[in-house]
Amino acid sequence: MRGPRTGMGTEPHTAGPAEPPFNNADPEALRFASLEKIRRLRKTANRGLWAMALFLAVSIGALDGFSFLPSLPEPVKNLLGGSPPTIMISGLLVLYSFSALVLILARMIGDSSAHGNFYHVAYLAFFYGFYHLAGSLADNFWAVFASGVTILTLEGYHLWTWCSKRVKEELEAVERLERKG
Amino acid sequence: MIRSLAGKAIIPVTVAVTGFVIICCILLYSVMKVDMTADAVRQATVLAGTVVKSTRYAMLKSDDENLRDIIANISIQQGVEHVRIFNKKGLIEFSSDPGEIKHFVDKKTAGCIGCHSGPVPAARLGEMEQARQFVNGKGREVIAITAPIYNEPDCFNAACHFHPPGQKVLGTLDIGLSREPLQQALATMRGRMMIFTAMILILTVGGVSALLGRTILEPLRMIKDYCDSLCRGDFKQGLPRFEGQLEELADSVRRVGTDLEKAGIALRQAEEKLTLLERQTEVPTPQATPPDKASKRAEDARTENRHGD
Repeated sequence: MRGPRTGMGTEPHTAGPAEPPFNNADPEALRFASLEKIRRLRKTANRGLWAMALFLAVSIGALDGFSFLPSLPEPVKNLLGGSPPTIMISGLLVLYSFSALVLILARMIGDSSAHGNFYHVAYLAFFYGFYHLAGSLADNFWAVFASGVTILTLEGYHLWTWCSKRVKEELEAVERLERKG
Repeated sequence: MIRSLAGKAIIPVTVAVTGFVIICCILLYSVMKVDMTADAVRQATVLAGTVVKSTRYAMLKSDDENLRDIIANISIQQGVEHVRIFNKKGLIEFSSDPGEIKHFVDKKTAGCIGCHSGPVPAARLGEMEQARQFVNGKGREVIAITAPIYNEPDCFNAACHFHPPGQKVLGTLDIGLSREPLQQALATMRGRMMIFTAMILILTVGGVSALLGRTILEPLRMIKDYCDSLCRGDFKQGLPRFEGQLEELADSVRRVGTDLEKAGIALRQAEEKLTLLERQTEVPTPQATPPDKASKRAEDARTENRHGD
């Protein structure tokens, strides 16, 4: 709650990251925990690159028409039935891309944690698969590729900025602990 | 990490808008390509039907010379790559290429496998199944249509012919049309879509950047400049009026500036009063205290006064 205006700014300075809730804990343990958190955050920040690399690998496979995979046996094909029409897959791809981009932008605005890079790779691989089964992968490959690059770039960017912000806060906390200790 | 507000605001929007517009354009192009190809196949099927109907009388009368003439005239039309008629066994009877007459067609090629994949060849096919797309010996992309020539009552009832009524297909007309006009139309459409996409992106990203800069970044820069001038002790610089929430922020900053200015004036007045008081309370001595000690004492008094406040 905002206090009364004093005109001279005599209210305590509250800007910056909040103090850890357990101020009375061992500073060395807190410092160690912060350093461990920084290490984990830096590792998490790179997850976007791994997801992008995985997606590129899947895309290379798709560009080749998944020739490295064995073809589906006839009973499985019969069980799956006919492939959905290409126009339906394309409509779904537009809907998926739109939803994913809106959700990522909403998470960026809300500064909530980033996740789901690998889920996106799985969804995009399914799209490649559906187009392949519908026999129209050659015509629609670049649409799925553009969708993947956009979504994963944005998700990776969000993850990276979110982690960098948390790392900065943790580094400030470590600095405070070092000053106290 | 990108530090500037402009970068943080513009980069995600640019990536999202650019990506989504590109996805939509590629899918739209793909859908339009399929539609245009289907349209071209439909037109080619109609043309093949016209050729079959045109040659029907010559075939009924077994007028080979007339038939050869019709085939030759059709094949010299612009965009027609080949025309051939072959019988049920696949023996080419008439063709625009005299070299292939009396040769068998390969039933395993793209145009034939649709009917001949099973043990019993299919008698009837849809439009799209009749079409095949390939690059011919001259290196040109071709849409070829195979139109079956069905056995009709006129055929098996004619005195000069010997087709039994049970024979469904007498032969096949194969006509190949160049895909060049379709490719040109697709290339034109692709180019226009790319220009359209670029224009949308420039308009969107440029518009967002310009509006953001004009409505948020520029006022923020002015507020920052005002704060800097306050820090330097320059209270003469004013802050223009803005709109909405930025005006609320500017108003708060203006109030801080005014309070700071008032506090500065009050402090100066207090200092002057204190100096005056010191001068009045001091016992005048002929040998004046060295100026550095006097100023130190005044400074100590001021500090005490501040602590007292």
